[in-house]
Amino acid sequence: MNDLTLIRKNLFRKKLRAILLTLSILIAFLIFGVLGAFHTVWTSGGALAADNRLITVNRINFTVSMPFAYWNRVAAIEGVENVAHASWFGGYFQEQTQQVQTFAVDPATYLAAYPELTMPAEQRQAFLDTRDCLLVGTDLAGQYGWSVGDTIPLLSNIWQKTDGTSSWTFNICAIFDAEDDKVPANYAVFHYDYYNEALAFNSDQVGWLIINTTDPSFNDQVSRAVDELFANSPSETETTTEAAFNEAFANQFGNIALILLFVVGSAFTTILIIVGFTMVTAINERTGEIAVMKTLGFPAPRIFRMVLAESVMLSLVGGLLGLGLANLMISGVADAAAAFLPGLALSAQVFWVGVGLAILLGLLTGIVPAINAQRVKIITALGKQ
Amino acid sequence: MLNQIGAVTLLNLRSIPQRAGLSLATIISIALVTGVLLGFLAMSNGFRATLQGTGSESVAVMLRAGSQAELNSGLSSDQVRLIEEAPGIARDADGTALVSGELFVIADGIKRSSQTEANLPLRGVGEQALRLREGFELVEGRMFETGTNELVVGEAVLREFSGFELGETIRLGPNEWVVVGIFSTGGSVFDSEIWADIAVIQNLYNRGTGVQSIRARLTSPEAIEELRAYEENEPRLNLDIQSETDFFSGQAGGTAVLIEFIGWPLAIVMAIGALAGAWNTMYSSVDTRMREIATLRAIGFSGFAAAVGTMVESLVLAAIGGLVGAGAVYLLFNGISASTLGSGFTQVVFSFAVTGGSVIAGMVMAIIIGFLGGLVPAIRSAYVPLLTVHRSE
Repeated sequence: MNDLTLIRKNLFRKKLRAILLTLSILIAFLIFGVLGAFHTVWTSGGALAADNRLITVNRINFTVSMPFAYWNRVAAIEGVENVAHASWFGGYFQEQTQQVQTFAVDPATYLAAYPELTMPAEQRQAFLDTRDCLLVGTDLAGQYGWSVGDTIPLLSNIWQKTDGTSSWTFNICAIFDAEDDKVPANYAVFHYDYYNEALAFNSDQVGWLIINTTDPSFNDQVSRAVDELFANSPSETETTTEAAFNEAFANQFGNIALILLFVVGSAFTTILIIVGFTMVTAINERTGEIAVMKTLGFPAPRIFRMVLAESVMLSLVGGLLGLGLANLMISGVADAAAAFLPGLALSAQVFWVGVGLAILLGLLTGIVPAINAQRVKIITALGKQ
Repeated sequence: MLNQIGAVTLLNLRSIPQRAGLSLATIISIALVTGVLLGFLAMSNGFRATLQGTGSESVAVMLRAGSQAELNSGLSSDQVRLIEEAPGIARDADGTALVSGELFVIADGIKRSSQTEANLPLRGVGEQALRLREGFELVEGRMFETGTNELVVGEAVLREFSGFELGETIRLGPNEWVVVGIFSTGGSVFDSEIWADIAVIQNLYNRGTGVQSIRARLTSPEAIEELRAYEENEPRLNLDIQSETDFFSGQAGGTAVLIEFIGWPLAIVMAIGALAGAWNTMYSSVDTRMREIATLRAIGFSGFAAAVGTMVESLVLAAIGGLVGAGAVYLLFNGISASTLGSGFTQVVFSFAVTGGSVIAGMVMAIIIGFLGGLVPAIRSAYVPLLTVHRSE
């Protein structure tokens, strides 16, 4: 009988207790895994951002527009490779509750700004050539069952046409996807001209600019140059990296990271305490046996290692089961959640942090009982009986 | 029988200190579960309370049809004049209609908690705006002068955003403004807003004489129907008309429900973990008292009494845990100010509110954990095999 067998037998000698402890560890790691995956997606706006992409918005706020002419003026700045512009359409499909994220863009520069968007070459060409084309993300298309060739009306809750209506008719001529699941494909874009020419008010304005610099090292220089160009004008600008812009937007909802930390922290404190005290009790119950083992010639360090290994094993079993269950649950809801949280998945990083935490938890809960076991005096322990 | 139950229960409770570690573990784990649940409920209750506490039944909010939010809406000054003539609108002693056309633009403020920019509503208002908000008062300073770059800010803005102290000059886009007053509307959504003279904002933001929303005091809450009928028959008006109460409680829904939808499942999953812990503790409790229980049974105590004793012990531990959790959340979080993006696409500042209802929900959950955790061990203690226990001596 080697040590591992002995450790396993000890761990499961009281089956119910072992199962209950495993269950509570499993729960904590399930919470960790699910919230960890959520956190990865939530903060992926920063990680997904191309490092040479800048966003220019009106300095008052990104909901305030700026003159269309800015687009060409920025293109002339040194270090700028490509400038695209986009405007918020406030679209909805049939019912006001069915909101559709839609932007009016300049097609060629928009596709150049986001090279990660993929679509068949003929659809790409159709989008560039067709004035009333709507380029739809695959998740959005799936949500409403749209396919290439469909003609759909979208209504705007902001804009009105000169004819008094708020409805634009689009021809879906292309559907985009991205290789990385985390790249959102839950929105649609269309030709700025098709929308601008019909606007009853606020025409020749754009919402924001997307600038690709020739190299990330030009980012600072370019963003300063852009903002200086429009300083002291009625529409001053503020240019930041895409990552910083996304992060600031995510922060608008509140300190989500802190809330997640609170929750995961409480879950871990709970199991740390439950498992810790139970391990101490469990080893105390075995004082006699440990004394016998010592009498048989088991050296104290070996006993120390065995007790520690027992708690690490317990916590790894619970931890891995929990992370596995989290993975199952996340894959189960990933498709349904794609429209809100694209690319929801248990990342390798979260998994390994979880494994690390499981080992740490095992060591923390095992250390006191291990020291106790190591210190067991044969005479006093056997004398107890 | 009752005597027996009482005696066994006392015996159990008095011996808790002997199992201090495990009992403490149960209390803390149940406290943390209750705490997480109450934390989320306090967040959602606080947000809901702020929005539902805003608005009056006898004020009508009018937006361009289909625009859903003040930000998206746009109305002309002619339409404001038409509303001033409308039936059902209250008038003051001089015969002036209590109608306020307002502009609503978003400006960036620096959120104290994250030091990042967040959307603040900048509302352009005229004289009538104050008469449409009950409970409006200036806490510090004075009202802005018309035609100047002066601002008054809500006290919640001051709390959550930096740079809005009285007397400060603040830059919003290309314009500099001076904060001349701090106002309060008693914790409503308006406390999260910045107000300035409507004419100045119309000018700075190139809005001509346009407004985005119209608020009007009604002669009575029922008069909204007269107003709607008038709007129907007036081709120059194409408005969505809602009472202010409905307008804001409609906005409470999404976010508050979302917070609860995250909080409850999370708490229930954590409760399963705590349940395992409680079960384990009670199991050990029965385990260590095997001999004791067997002795009691031998001298004539019933199995039922032993079971009740175990169950009461479990329930007491759970109740203590629940109370500790609720108390900690109350002390740490009640009244804490936070802000999030509301459905008007601007920050809504609210305070965490630990309500009686949520404390009861938390306690019920704690007791359920205690009951389920104690159930099997209690049954077990009723069936302690007398002979085996004593023979093993």
